[in-house]
Amino acid sequence: MKIQPLTENERWLLSFYRTSEISGALFFGRLAKSLPPGPIQTDLTKHFADESQHSWFWTRCLQTLGHEPIKLDTAYQDQYISAAGMPANIMEVLGITLIFEKRVIGQYALHRQAQDLNPEIKKTLDLIVEDEKWHIEWVTQALKNMEGEYGKEHIDKTLKRFYDADKEVYQKTVKEHEERIAGILKFKKD
Amino acid sequence: MLDNNKIKTRISQILSVPSEKITDNAVLQELVIDSFILIDMVIDLQNTFNIRLNQEDLIPVKTVGDLISVMNSKT
Repeated sequence: MKIQPLTENERWLLSFYRTSEISGALFFGRLAKSLPPGPIQTDLTKHFADESQHSWFWTRCLQTLGHEPIKLDTAYQDQYISAAGMPANIMEVLGITLIFEKRVIGQYALHRQAQDLNPEIKKTLDLIVEDEKWHIEWVTQALKNMEGEYGKEHIDKTLKRFYDADKEVYQKTVKEHEERIAGILKFKKD
Repeated sequence: MLDNNKIKTRISQILSVPSEKITDNAVLQELVIDSFILIDMVIDLQNTFNIRLNQEDLIPVKTVGDLISVMNSKT
């Protein structure tokens, strides 16, 4: 397989991933700092460390491929609040986190299937997806543990609201960056 | 009834905004650009003052005074 040099659109997409991981790290880091001790504080601290690590992985990936990351002002999740409203308690924060993490793993899995994927990008995606699986596991379990306090029906309704908002944000993002993404996420025919 | 001054002091600490700017009429979105810091602030206030807020409670909240009123309605 002939390895193609990174295009400007690929550079932008990897920088977009990097920015999103940084935003996640900053948010979870602040939250981990303000939560009282307990299992959620513990898992959130690990989650924050992972997101931070992922932003480093994308930085390293870009630099290994001979590029610097592009400075982007907004991250994917910045649009969540206007689409879904501001989460007000820890259950709602974990709800929006779960939907977001599912979106991330879906996007990375999609990118993983791209035709002629650069081995460095593949390696980075594989590294990150392993952590993302754990993120979904711990948040799902934490929300299950909250059913007694918040009610299963209320949690399900919250998740549905965030799911609808995510769908709206994703469609908007894809439409906005259609040209950049189309050239990268081409898939094998077999 | 919660101590409104204590709430304002805590808001000032979390947002790193001078306390004189934390007035009843101060618009929350103008105190801090990053909305994710506001989420962190609301969660911290609930832990500090032992109350619980839901997303619906925050819909009418625009100012510091609105937030304090909502918090007081939950005690």
